[in-house]
Amino acid sequence: MILNSKKMIGVALTGALTLSLTACGGTDTKTTDSGSATTGDKSTDKKVTISFQNIYPDPTTPSYKMLHSIVDQYQKDHPNVTIELDTLNTDQQKMKLKTQAASKEVPDITIVNPAAQMKPFVDAKLLAPLNDMLDQNGLKDTYQKGLLDNYSFDGNTYAVPDGNNIEVVYYNKELFQQAGIAKTPTTFDELLQDVKALKAKGITPIAIGEKDSWTGSFLFMNILLRTYGGPGFLKDVVDGKKTFNDPAFTLAVDRFQDLVQAGAFPDGATSIDYNAGGNIFKTGKAAMYIMGTWETGSIDASSVASKVAAFQFPTVDGKGDVNQYMLAPGSAFAVSANSEHVQETKDFLNYFALNLPKKQFEYKNAVGLGQKIDGDLKASGYSDLAISVAGLFNNISGGDLAFDNTMNPATAQAHLGSIQNLFVQKVDAVQVAKEHQSAFEANK
Amino acid sequence: MNVLKVPTRTIAVFVLPALLLYICLVFVPIIVSFYTGLLNWDGITAAKFIGFGNFKNMFLHDPIFWPSVLRTLLYAVASIVEIPFCLLMAILLNRYVRKGNALVSIYFTPVILSVVIIGQLWSTIYNPAAMGGMLNGVLTSIGLERWTHNWLTEPKIAMYCIYVVSLWQYFGYHLLIQFTGIQNLPSEIYEAAKIDGADGFKADRYITLPLIVPIFKISVVLAFIGSLQAFDLVMVMTGGGPAHATDVISTHMYNSSILSQKYGYGSAIATFLVLVCLSFTVVINLIFSRLEKKFG
Repeated sequence: MILNSKKMIGVALTGALTLSLTACGGTDTKTTDSGSATTGDKSTDKKVTISFQNIYPDPTTPSYKMLHSIVDQYQKDHPNVTIELDTLNTDQQKMKLKTQAASKEVPDITIVNPAAQMKPFVDAKLLAPLNDMLDQNGLKDTYQKGLLDNYSFDGNTYAVPDGNNIEVVYYNKELFQQAGIAKTPTTFDELLQDVKALKAKGITPIAIGEKDSWTGSFLFMNILLRTYGGPGFLKDVVDGKKTFNDPAFTLAVDRFQDLVQAGAFPDGATSIDYNAGGNIFKTGKAAMYIMGTWETGSIDASSVASKVAAFQFPTVDGKGDVNQYMLAPGSAFAVSANSEHVQETKDFLNYFALNLPKKQFEYKNAVGLGQKIDGDLKASGYSDLAISVAGLFNNISGGDLAFDNTMNPATAQAHLGSIQNLFVQKVDAVQVAKEHQSAFEANK
Repeated sequence: MNVLKVPTRTIAVFVLPALLLYICLVFVPIIVSFYTGLLNWDGITAAKFIGFGNFKNMFLHDPIFWPSVLRTLLYAVASIVEIPFCLLMAILLNRYVRKGNALVSIYFTPVILSVVIIGQLWSTIYNPAAMGGMLNGVLTSIGLERWTHNWLTEPKIAMYCIYVVSLWQYFGYHLLIQFTGIQNLPSEIYEAAKIDGADGFKADRYITLPLIVPIFKISVVLAFIGSLQAFDLVMVMTGGGPAHATDVISTHMYNSSILSQKYGYGSAIATFLVLVCLSFTVVINLIFSRLEKKFG
């Protein structure tokens, strides 16, 4: 860290030096506020280092390749700009950013998560509004309608997402056949029957890694989305129109427990982490995996790829619409309000966001993109699974965000603990509702 | 001091650097943390001073706090109970094993392994049989299928499973301390005792035990404070789950401040932890100064 800040000071000083030198020459190198029409391109002689915190640490993933190829290209085109990558895994990044935020030293570009999770950063005025950047080169129009709303507060957009995903049920056709299941379930009762049929054959019905407790919550929330007959339950709770004691919520808890009691999940699910949980499915040991569509790429790359298809989460007790999904607008790139070169950073981010979908498409990672792309999946060699999942996106008629994107962190933690508990013991739904309600009221 | 006739000022000058460092690195953070404990603060936006509100919540309204304190104390007690066994083992090793050092080194191996590795290793041992868990596999193969459990995911037993790992890991550590302590006792005393007719266990009772008390104390304090601060092993093995069933004070502190973003509240828990550690250190010291007087 010390080394880093020394370097930063060094860079800042050199920057200041060149600035004062060129000022003698009579050219105005200041590109900030005063001349908003001029973009950073005019100041090609000004050395700029942009720190870019990101969450793509794994060199084998398409996202990593996408990031590096865009950054390399940009540095080649703009010799005066150096992009300094600070690559972390998701949890590390969340933690580091919070620490940096406490001392107001947010990197030029960082990663935030949508809605409630990024609100504290916006409230603390740490992020720069990106409205002008979105208008540049038509960037705004590349995003799916309504997606940017998750990153906007009071009419200002503060971040641009790297994707947009929905929760679907992946299933292994071969294992379904073995258990004699002819067609995918469309109601929760059918799902329960299928779970029992699979269980009877000694197949783990649904893979999950509940040590990372958001996984169970993500599934539970999908049930709640159905029992409430549509999206907006949590929002109604926040607005005071509903409480957690609502029958829709307790019904969701009961139905979720039905799944647990039917033995739907692997033994010791709460000690399995997210990756290991996914691998149970990807190695053909479990029949279903209820997860966000961001998994499509890695399922395609696994040994069960050819056997996997996806279906929509069924209706629960006749309630809900299968075209409503748990929505997972992606992690998003935000610019620090205290950046020493906001304009250059925005210029880069604009370039980055415009090229992100193209690169992702090239690297076969176009499912779950938040931006519109031209290009035929089939012709480009995408798998049947990818194409069918991409097809589901066309009929989305709304949905809910994950619990921790809607509620404050303290309530979300109480919720995650409460749901995790359902995996290890049967609890009265009324009690679960009470836990939620009291946590919500205590942390309002 | 009078003998050396060193002026107080000189002493002050020599003590100052270390003292300053100590104050900056130990006392200031404790005080800052105590102050933060009085705030309602998410770590990002502006903080609000709420007096002892966090402490009141912690003691009266937090359903996770007291169970986690209880688990921590049990952890501490368990690790203290372990030490007499270490001492016994050290005495036996010293008496009956010619090259005791080699054995002690072997017992010490778990200590030099990283806690993360230990945690992963034991998680695999504890896994359900379906996932290749060794313990359940062994139990099944010797016909004790009824004894198999999901060790780390049954709320009632998960915590004990973690205690076992911790005790296993630090057994060698305390054994080493006791063993070295015994080896450093002057052999003349034993020879003199032998002439007076005190041999074998009698010598241990009247010579080893009283002389080893200071060493024993070090072990006890280390074990106690170490287990009060237990964090890494729990984090690696269960992360405090399932549903807080294995939360100890420090994991609860971590979860509150980092995950729930209640830095103020987390700091209040930290302050509590510091106070508990300090007061128990004082108590342990008191007990041992009595013991030393009695034996000395």
